Amino acid sequence: MTATGPAGEHRLALQVQELRVSYGPKVAVDGVSLEITEGEIFGLLGPNGAGKTSTLSAIEGLLRPDSGSIRIGDIDARAHPMAAKARMGVQLQSTSFQSDLTIREIIRLYAALYGVSLGRAGIDDLLANVHLDEEASKRFSQLSGGQQKRLSLLIATIHKPPLVLLDEPTAGLDPQARRQLWDRIERLRDIGRSILLTTHSMEEAQAVCHRVAIIDQGKLLTVDTPAGLIEKHKDDPRVRRVAHGQVTLEDVFIGLTGSELRD
Amino acid sequence: MSSQATARPAQLPTLSGILKALLQADVTVQLRNPRALVLMLLPPLVFLYALSAGKRSTQFGSPMFKVAAALTLGIASIAILGYTATVARDRELGVFQRLRVTPAPTWTIMVSRLAVQILSMLVMTVVVLVVAAIVENVSLDPAAYLLTILVVAFSSAVYLGVGQALVGLISSANTVNAVGRLSFLPLYALGLFGHSDIFGTTFETISRWSPAGAVATLLSGAMNPAVWSSETWWALLASVAYSIVFAGIGIRWFQWSTH
Repeated sequence: MTATGPAGEHRLALQVQELRVSYGPKVAVDGVSLEITEGEIFGLLGPNGAGKTSTLSAIEGLLRPDSGSIRIGDIDARAHPMAAKARMGVQLQSTSFQSDLTIREIIRLYAALYGVSLGRAGIDDLLANVHLDEEASKRFSQLSGGQQKRLSLLIATIHKPPLVLLDEPTAGLDPQARRQLWDRIERLRDIGRSILLTTHSMEEAQAVCHRVAIIDQGKLLTVDTPAGLIEKHKDDPRVRRVAHGQVTLEDVFIGLTGSELRD
Repeated sequence: MSSQATARPAQLPTLSGILKALLQADVTVQLRNPRALVLMLLPPLVFLYALSAGKRSTQFGSPMFKVAAALTLGIASIAILGYTATVARDRELGVFQRLRVTPAPTWTIMVSRLAVQILSMLVMTVVVLVVAAIVENVSLDPAAYLLTILVVAFSSAVYLGVGQALVGLISSANTVNAVGRLSFLPLYALGLFGHSDIFGTTFETISRWSPAGAVATLLSGAMNPAVWSSETWWALLASVAYSIVFAGIGIRWFQWSTH
């Protein structure tokens, strides 16, 4: 299954072809191909251990794929990892920063690592934009879960990258914080960023993603818009068996990936 | 959405800018870490005082060797207890993974960490030499002073190599701390008797060529260049060999993440 982007004049922000990642004998990502166009929010849905984070980690340069190609815009990410990383913003699933640095110092550090020069006033403006101006002198561990996620997203986009990768960005957040983060993700899209996010939340996938791919056992099973996925699979017997009344995205997800518990 | 609205492509940061930012952050972290500051200064100073004040203090060797042994202890405690603890903790928290998704080359992340440890060792050296001048009346001429500082920087490779091997072979931060504490004393104590026949000549020889013994010999030679001998050169070679072996193990098996 290949997730090819919407047609035409749209340029590709990310192109992954035949990506394969394994840990010893275990194949975590098995021939995944996907394309994300500029300004698109693309969701990767899958149960635990399906290969979502491994796919993201390979794109981020955190692990070396066995084979396949990754292009960030017009840059071959495997041949030019530094240039590729400069065009990517990343929010990891479990992020932490140096525990003895203040929030202001953390922002200064990451801005410099991306080649962005920021003075104190610039940092304070950024913090005010995410309502963290009063937390500037605190440590990362002193922030609430929602504040930590907002800071992580701020740092992921501090260099205005064309492509933003978010690994379960709203996991563990309360509904208010989750909605706020969705708004921020949509604002990123509105200013032209392309976003690849992984999530367990069907609600999130339907709310913010233009297209969604379902991945399981390292393979992409299906790709379409959320509504398109429901339309495409509503008559699939596996989906009908788990549906209670009108078919939902969650029914499609469970129908295609199975009902067994995953660890 | 048209491509006109897309973000301006980010520029590549300079290597010097990356290193400067990392060093600034790592120095700040080190200065705010009371455990690191205690480990940097307390063990060598207490040890130097204890060795000088003891009734059998002359049996441990010359005053130069005692100062060298104190410096070795300082280097060992910074590298084996301090460096390993911060690397293991940050790895477990995911700090390294966050740094690795930036354009900073991975070697800059580790070089910055190591540079801060070496800087700590140099500061410790200056403090110990000042105290040694007071307690042991050991005063160095400028050339010996400079040579000692150079040799401390060089000797740091032995213990930072040992520390790197520990965090390379062990992934859990708690286990790294426990093994660091357990291995620190025997590793150091073995070298303490390299210039003493308290436990016989066989033990003295083993002690002399252990990592701590080789470093102590090297340091005492640096503090008194007039007595730099073939044995000091052999100690230098042994230190190089230990550094290569331990650092090789540490680099080969090091993992950036525990997840």
